[in-house]
Amino acid sequence: MTRLVLIRFALAVPILLGVSVAAFALMRLLPGDFAQAAAGSANVSTEMLEKVRRDLGLDQPIWVQYLAWLGDALRGDFGTSFVTRRPVTSEIGGRLGVTFELTALAALMAMVMGGLTGLASARFRGHTDWIVRLWNGLMLAIPNFVVGTLIVLLAGLYFPQIRIFYFVPFTEDPLGSIGSLLLPAFALSLAVSVTVSENTRAAVLEVASQDFVMVARAKGLRPRTVLRNYLVRNALTPVITVTGLQIAQLLGGSILIETIFAIPGMGQYLFDSITSRDYPVIQAIVLTTAAVVVLVNVLVDIAYIRADARVEG
Amino acid sequence: MSDPFLKVRGLTAAFTTRGRDVQVLNGLDFDMAAGEAIGIVGESGSGKSVTARALMQLAPEGSSIRLGGSVTFQGQDLLQYSERQMQTLRGSQIAMVFQDPMTSLNPTMTVGAQIDDMLRRHKGLSARPARDRTVELLERVGIHNARRRADDHPHQFSGGMRQRVMIAMAISCDPALLIADEPTTALDVTVQAQILRLLLQLREDLGMALMLITHDFGVIAGMVERVMVMYRGDIVETGPVERIFDAPEHLYTRALLAAVPRLDAPEAKP
Repeated sequence: MTRLVLIRFALAVPILLGVSVAAFALMRLLPGDFAQAAAGSANVSTEMLEKVRRDLGLDQPIWVQYLAWLGDALRGDFGTSFVTRRPVTSEIGGRLGVTFELTALAALMAMVMGGLTGLASARFRGHTDWIVRLWNGLMLAIPNFVVGTLIVLLAGLYFPQIRIFYFVPFTEDPLGSIGSLLLPAFALSLAVSVTVSENTRAAVLEVASQDFVMVARAKGLRPRTVLRNYLVRNALTPVITVTGLQIAQLLGGSILIETIFAIPGMGQYLFDSITSRDYPVIQAIVLTTAAVVVLVNVLVDIAYIRADARVEG
Repeated sequence: MSDPFLKVRGLTAAFTTRGRDVQVLNGLDFDMAAGEAIGIVGESGSGKSVTARALMQLAPEGSSIRLGGSVTFQGQDLLQYSERQMQTLRGSQIAMVFQDPMTSLNPTMTVGAQIDDMLRRHKGLSARPARDRTVELLERVGIHNARRRADDHPHQFSGGMRQRVMIAMAISCDPALLIADEPTTALDVTVQAQILRLLLQLREDLGMALMLITHDFGVIAGMVERVMVMYRGDIVETGPVERIFDAPEHLYTRALLAAVPRLDAPEAKP
């Protein structure tokens, strides 16, 4: 088990290096750079632009810039923002935390809602199955920013007593913070929860037809023991796979949801940074997000081992 | 106590699939004495497995089975039992060994835990005494290092060993009747003999009744006293095993006996 986790972490190194190269190069492939973006439509002399570039080190060959940045990044220093002139770490630190809180909350909601509706759909069949599958189909078809906008709109119209646009930082009041993110997390989790739901339903139906479930009933075990130890435990593995893949999607989806609900996460900030070509900020955000996705995948692998003894550690 | 151990009268079974009823048992009548061993023989689809499932009232997942007639087991009509009462009876009074040991065990639980949960359910044992009894049972069915092996998962056992685990599980709560539904069909011939010997031994030691279901006449010879031959949901012939072998009355029984491959048959000679 420890060995497998170590191997997974070791594999993360080349992945993250690749991500860093891509993030670095792709940004510089975009037309224009920070100097031009900052100048905007104002008439600035070429000398001025050159001076700004020289100050920021943008006149160096790209691989020199990359190695210098990588060296600093390995020591935990992601440079200074071109725009604010403040260290990137302190600029994005708090914002990333908010985004991860929102994503984690949405992931948890998606797992609980998806798992329960999928299980109910497979066990009760009939009308429950119909309703769940109709809902799943509908929610799969509607992008989550539309759902988010609808929630804001409908809540504003019919439940004006509910506060929507407010945010409490986690460090100030953890419970209040989670409370302030419930609606956006719900909007974010819907698309993922229906995927989890459909997969749970399929997995439970598949497991229910296995011989060992019949054996468990022939043993005279109580229905809830059969459900917990025989059905759900065996249906977990495929559901874990799908959930792990979906969490990466949540991180992407959170950018739009943050914009809709005016949450001070990295979504809006990333968008602004791309517009102003603030390279250090973009690179730091891309790399941290990639690191989180890799981490989630390692966690998924650990979950496999816990759920199924046949996966050797 | 005029009632026999098991008295089945007019047992019918019908499956409902897509709104249509399919009758699979057409009113069976048979008795079993306590501790008796009987064999049920017939081809696929003759209703022998459904008979076993009907006694246990176990329908395959997602389908429903409608039973009629009466099944009087130790003086109680099981068809009048509620599902909850049946749950208490399954495993403790009537236990079952299934055909395919490769798929009959839960792959995500240790084999020990799968016997423990039954002991805890029916015998009310707590974790430690349940495990002690499980180890005892595993040793009894011929699994070495039982204490350590109990913590292994099913995929770490061979097919024959898994069937031994299934048998240990079935006898764990001292059932009065053990139903073995094609217990050796999925195993190779040498292992078949070992498993049959084990079943015979356990039946002698524990004095439980045995219902051996098979399509193979070779399996029941020497295992049971009485044979019932089933064909298309009916019992077509019943009698002592020697009589059925020596002088089968029903045409179908003769056909079935003729289907047993023989070493001395002319075609087999080189």
